Amino acid sequence: MSHIKIAVVLSVAIVLQLLLREVWRPLAYIDFPLVVVVYIALQRDAWKALLVGTLAGLIIDAGSGGLVGAGGFSKTLTAYIIYFAATRVNLENPLLRIPVLAAGSLLDSAIYVFWHRVLGYPPAVPFVQTMSYKLIATTIVGTLALYLLDAVVAERSAQRRQFATRRRVARRSTGPLRRR
Amino acid sequence: MAFVRTQKEIRQRAPIWLVTLLVANLIIMAVDARDADGRQKILRVWTQTFASPLQSTSSKVTGATSGFFQQIWNFRRTARENEQLRERLTQIETELHTAQQSAAENERLKELLKLNEQSEIKNVPARVIARDPSVWFNTITINRGTSSGIAVNMPVVTAGGIVGRVITVSPWASQVMLITDEKAGAGAVVGQLGSGALGSVKGRADLGVALIEMRYVSGLEKVENGDYVMTTGQDGIYPPGLNVGRVVDVKSGTATTAHQILIQPGAQLDRLEEVAVLLYHPPPRSVPEQTPQNVERTRR
Repeated sequence: MSHIKIAVVLSVAIVLQLLLREVWRPLAYIDFPLVVVVYIALQRDAWKALLVGTLAGLIIDAGSGGLVGAGGFSKTLTAYIIYFAATRVNLENPLLRIPVLAAGSLLDSAIYVFWHRVLGYPPAVPFVQTMSYKLIATTIVGTLALYLLDAVVAERSAQRRQFATRRRVARRSTGPLRRR
Repeated sequence: MAFVRTQKEIRQRAPIWLVTLLVANLIIMAVDARDADGRQKILRVWTQTFASPLQSTSSKVTGATSGFFQQIWNFRRTARENEQLRERLTQIETELHTAQQSAAENERLKELLKLNEQSEIKNVPARVIARDPSVWFNTITINRGTSSGIAVNMPVVTAGGIVGRVITVSPWASQVMLITDEKAGAGAVVGQLGSGALGSVKGRADLGVALIEMRYVSGLEKVENGDYVMTTGQDGIYPPGLNVGRVVDVKSGTATTAHQILIQPGAQLDRLEEVAVLLYHPPPRSVPEQTPQNVERTRR
């Protein structure tokens, strides 16, 4: 996945995260930047996954009332753990992505809140309730978003599209009209 | 020769990158946490300065889009609300008559007590450009900063009541911690200033933005549902006499235990659009002497 594609996808995720809360408050439970981080970590590209995790976390932290760096820390660690799992276990199956997303969301929330509690900044909302809502929302929407990312931006889908075009061209050139 | 890293190299270096990035985040976090509440956080000022244009733009886009859909969505509700408002107007007219009488009485009492008129506090109107993108905190970002004379700890209000206080200021934007946050608080009194039902209001994680808790009100004081709660000005942030909200639940205390009071904030905190920042500088507090007199005496 090229750097430009990653930058575009991450920007869209961050803008969605900022905008959707304004439209309807519960939509804030969907962690779009985390979905992007999980997606890149599943591509088994460690450097990109870690960098995107840090960037996404820090940008969200900049507009948040929490500690700057807490989101960066949690998303970086989550990205690495998912990358680590993806290099050892085959997570190509789309169904396996559901528990991976859920675990990612759970881990991200737990680390984020842990650092805030340790440094004396307790969250303003109940932990278990918020974490559960976030897990459900991120897993459901994230699963669909991963399908979308697969179809639109993945290298493999680009290759597939390229082959399909070539096949179509090849068929045209060897079609029945041509043979006559 | 192009520099290409093999999968093995990437796998070997990943833990080093991880540790580097984690340590960097940890340092940023520690620097941000080090600055105590009530002081300007340098790191936040920078992040706020860069984030505010994005937040402002996104706010405009959302406002335009959601405004269109909301108008359609609200059409039916408006008719129903209209009926309710008519009923409420009749009720308010009666309350207004009573309030006018109270205001006149208040004026007379002030003259009697020769109280100085509270100087009019200047305020800066501001627009809410963003809400906290994470779900864990209750903060809002407004489109006014140091260029408009705003400073840390200035109170933010609406016509309904207090909203919170400024926690970070950058040149063109400020971050406001809502009164419903666990770390927020204000000195308050149930009823009129001068009543004995003094306490402090504070957010509680399990109450969300709908309610706030009032603590330390003596169990001997009379508190009822529907009572108004005002600021006392003793917290050094909010000026006295601002509306906090209305009491919605009271678990009565005793002579030795305090009341457990829940308040519905007067400001509609979940639907904030416009707010005002009061350019209020609390009167300086008298600093107690470092060594109490009796200690000196004992030494002699």
